[in-house]
Amino acid sequence: MTFFLTTLATVRTVYRVVEVCCTDSDSFVFLAVADYFQNFDTSRQTNMDVSMEFAEQNRCLELAKSSAYYRRIYSEVEEVGWEHLLKLQEDLTFLSFRLMDKKGREHVLEITLDKTYPKCPPLVSADVPYNFNLEWSTDSKLRDVVRQFQEHMDKLQDFWYTLDDIDRSLWVTDPKQPHHAISYRQINIGNDCYIMLFISASDPQALPECRFMGSDKKVNLLKETWRRRCKHWMKDKPFPENLASVLDIQLPQPQHVQKNEEQIECGICYAQNLPIDDELGMKSGSGTDYKCENANCNRAFHSVCLGDWLRSITTTRQSFGVLFGNCPYCSDPVAIKVSLEAKC
Amino acid sequence: MTSPSASSRKALSKIASNRLQKELVEWQVNPPTGFKHKVTDNLQRWVIEVNGAPGTLYAGETYQLQVDFPEHYPMEAPQVIFIPPAPLHPHIYSNGHICLDILYDSWSPAMTVSSVCISILSMLSSSTEKQRPADNDRYVKNCRNGRSPKETRWWFHDDKV
Repeated sequence: MTFFLTTLATVRTVYRVVEVCCTDSDSFVFLAVADYFQNFDTSRQTNMDVSMEFAEQNRCLELAKSSAYYRRIYSEVEEVGWEHLLKLQEDLTFLSFRLMDKKGREHVLEITLDKTYPKCPPLVSADVPYNFNLEWSTDSKLRDVVRQFQEHMDKLQDFWYTLDDIDRSLWVTDPKQPHHAISYRQINIGNDCYIMLFISASDPQALPECRFMGSDKKVNLLKETWRRRCKHWMKDKPFPENLASVLDIQLPQPQHVQKNEEQIECGICYAQNLPIDDELGMKSGSGTDYKCENANCNRAFHSVCLGDWLRSITTTRQSFGVLFGNCPYCSDPVAIKVSLEAKC
Repeated sequence: MTSPSASSRKALSKIASNRLQKELVEWQVNPPTGFKHKVTDNLQRWVIEVNGAPGTLYAGETYQLQVDFPEHYPMEAPQVIFIPPAPLHPHIYSNGHICLDILYDSWSPAMTVSSVCISILSMLSSSTEKQRPADNDRYVKNCRNGRSPKETRWWFHDDKV
């Protein structure tokens, strides 16, 4: 909650007005004409008139202020380009842009604004391994945020290049759905052993920190080899090549086929398309149309399947045609529109 | 005796049989260690052989699980029981019913026959004594008319075994 204190002087009276602004409901409640000093007559009626008139005045002020805010945000989004805009919350306090880096990778930049914007710098978050320090002054604009983010992305090109190289040529078992903020990779190195690599965002080509997984016997052997041969790591050689040469083994190829299937199959019925069935109405035969928003889960579903599941358990809530429940895989909240056409 | 509700069961829905076919293929490619699916042409009832894990109380013993799928699988949990003789275990009744939350309240469509089997084996493996549940006789008597374990109101109070 934020409190503003305004002092207003009228001809006869001095009012101290406390305005309470609830950030969570964006309604403005004015409380009290708390305290006043009067030199003249103090009939109750006059007091009420004045305070109502004052309330009206303040409401107009508030509207004027918010319309100025809206105009500013719209014009700043315009400068960045509407084609980049991905989400815009109704009260314009949250928005996100889809931006490309130099190599054409897509990134989402999320910006949270305060009603006092641009006095208060916006909060920025994005799919990067570490955030950048936003430089902000009162005449900065959204396009400055975007520009600074683009510069930050430029700095991370080597990091992403290294990760792409790993994803392309090694058998990555975790993360299943890598995104640009994740800097670790778990790799199947054959023989029932795995290596977990932590890639440095500032020095991605350097010998990474790592951890081995597998039976004790095999892991000890691997650790020994790693210690003995880590001096063979050359920063100018491609990462996968370095890894193979330090571990002194041939690394297995990535398993592409499986990965592609996982992305489009529904996590409940395991099919890409729903069966052709009149009961399903418009959705008959359609593909997955919902994805868990948790970036680490990202499971695809048919909204029909997920809706059926949510309806079958007692913990699901329904409100205004939307079912609220949890993803069967990661338990994060999910919300599904109840499709009317499927029922008719 | 072991198939009380078989006749009254409804056939699998399209979605259910589709998903089960995929689970079966996945099982054949990558079966969970210690389990063997007995090949039949009945997709709606799987019979699975379980081998007690080495180094546990059930090492060297073999049991049979019977898995029956409801019409709307995986929206509903499969019915999983041991075909008697069931292993002696504090959560397994002599009629084969298993007290395990994921088979009832905690089921989720993210689980599979394979993951359920692994949970059951892990439940067996962590047991420290071979004995029946305290209320075995009473419970089994109540189920005499071939009641499904899914109609039981289970209390899950022990998370150690």
